[in-house]
Amino acid sequence: MLKCISAGRAGFGRCGAAGLACLALLALALPLAAAAADLLEKRESLYNNIFIFSDGDNVSMTFGQNKRYYTESAMQLSDPGALIVEYTRFMTMGVAYPPKLERVAEIGLGGGRTVSYLSASLPDTGILAIELDKDVVDLAKKYFKFQETARLRTVVSDGRAFLLKDSEKWDVVLIDAYRGPFVPFHLLTQEFYRLVKSRLNPGGVVVQNIEPSTMLFDSASATLKSVFSNVDLYDGGGNVVAVGYDGPPVLQAELLARAAKVQNRYKLRYDLTKLAAERRILARPQGKVLTDDFAPVETMRAIEKNNEKWKEQTEAPR
Amino acid sequence: MQSSVARGILLLALACVLGFALMGFEMLGSRYLYPYFGGGINTWASLIATVLVALMAGYLLGGALVDRTLSPRLCGMLLVFAGVYLFTIPLWVDPLFGWMLTSVGDGMAGIVLAATLLLLLPLTLMSTFTPFAVRLLLVSIAFGGRIVSYVYGVSTVGNVLGTLVTTFVLVPSFGSRALTMIFAGVTILCGGVMMLSDRFLRGANP
Repeated sequence: MLKCISAGRAGFGRCGAAGLACLALLALALPLAAAAADLLEKRESLYNNIFIFSDGDNVSMTFGQNKRYYTESAMQLSDPGALIVEYTRFMTMGVAYPPKLERVAEIGLGGGRTVSYLSASLPDTGILAIELDKDVVDLAKKYFKFQETARLRTVVSDGRAFLLKDSEKWDVVLIDAYRGPFVPFHLLTQEFYRLVKSRLNPGGVVVQNIEPSTMLFDSASATLKSVFSNVDLYDGGGNVVAVGYDGPPVLQAELLARAAKVQNRYKLRYDLTKLAAERRILARPQGKVLTDDFAPVETMRAIEKNNEKWKEQTEAPR
Repeated sequence: MQSSVARGILLLALACVLGFALMGFEMLGSRYLYPYFGGGINTWASLIATVLVALMAGYLLGGALVDRTLSPRLCGMLLVFAGVYLFTIPLWVDPLFGWMLTSVGDGMAGIVLAATLLLLLPLTLMSTFTPFAVRLLLVSIAFGGRIVSYVYGVSTVGNVLGTLVTTFVLVPSFGSRALTMIFAGVTILCGGVMMLSDRFLRGANP
């Protein structure tokens, strides 16, 4: 269960040294200056082929698949606290919504940058990262300065299996579970989101990273909307971050007030009130709802769509 | 057409269809296991091992039965039973796996047990067909090698088609529950054909 940055854009053919140079420049869809990336470690785990690359100041965790690399996580060594992948900043928007912030869970650790940031920013919050691949946890500790503490713990398990077994409730559940370009189908269905909903405290939210360039985006957001009465979408510079919550819609002024309250209290580096300004409301879901019975995620992912079209399904918040 | 040729065509057609359904169930099995035990190599190892154990057990059972009875009707009954079992999977799979996950866990024991309960018995019964088909077609020892090779070859063609068509065509087009019931219905149909054509399939055999 891992992170993915704009999988559709992040992956590209490997062509020797030139390919590695391209990786540094393109894989993150970020303006990285270095000309070449060094492979620090390659590890074949039970679930993935994991590559750790460094190009001087940046270190990235990528999964290799079909001779492509998919970046799961990235960190700037000179400023490890920065969330250099834009969508991960919007993942933190989830903490603005709930009435309390005692317990946060994340499915899919990757390099652990998002949970480390939240743990450092929110001193009263306990965070649990649920990660399928033990090697990912090891590499996050080795290369991404990820440290477990009394308030930031990990458990090695499939995300859905863990939620089924463990009936503890959460204020925020972050879902960022990619395996290379794919999200496993059982983490995208109505039954899964219902399970997540049953594990939320009153006013709790689910936050999910979704890649918007394929048909799968329409179905994933429609499925989320079929379980949660409200779905907000944030354009995370390539990936889209969806926030699902129940109850009456939160008006924009109210959300800004809540964001300001959390912001003033914890002084987060990425200002929640600024992130909140990017909010769009999912008003007209178009995709087919996915169920455990019918979830052809591989097929849907193969059908490309215009990257910006997703905004047509949304409207501005009131 | 000589009745021995017609008999051969019928049995090979059944071998192909049952081979298709058998691998179709293996692919569908993953759709039932993923939500509870995850979609990793562990799940696939458990599924593949279960299917292979079922093939082994079915061959042994079928071989023992056919030498004792030579009864196509008996083989047909086993297929009908397998089909009925498979048809009921969508009714009990979710509560059972949910309970197993909390009581046995999602380790090796849990996944193997889940795959076993899902598929071992029906696929064992389905694979009793192969030795029955070989024995029913075996009219002369001179053709023995070819008979065995045809039955296994055609059945494997069915396996390959079942794997690919199920994965790339059927699962993206229909729900897994509906597909399970359709494949189960086809298995029951194959069993019915064997029961009804008992006399014809025995041929010159007593």
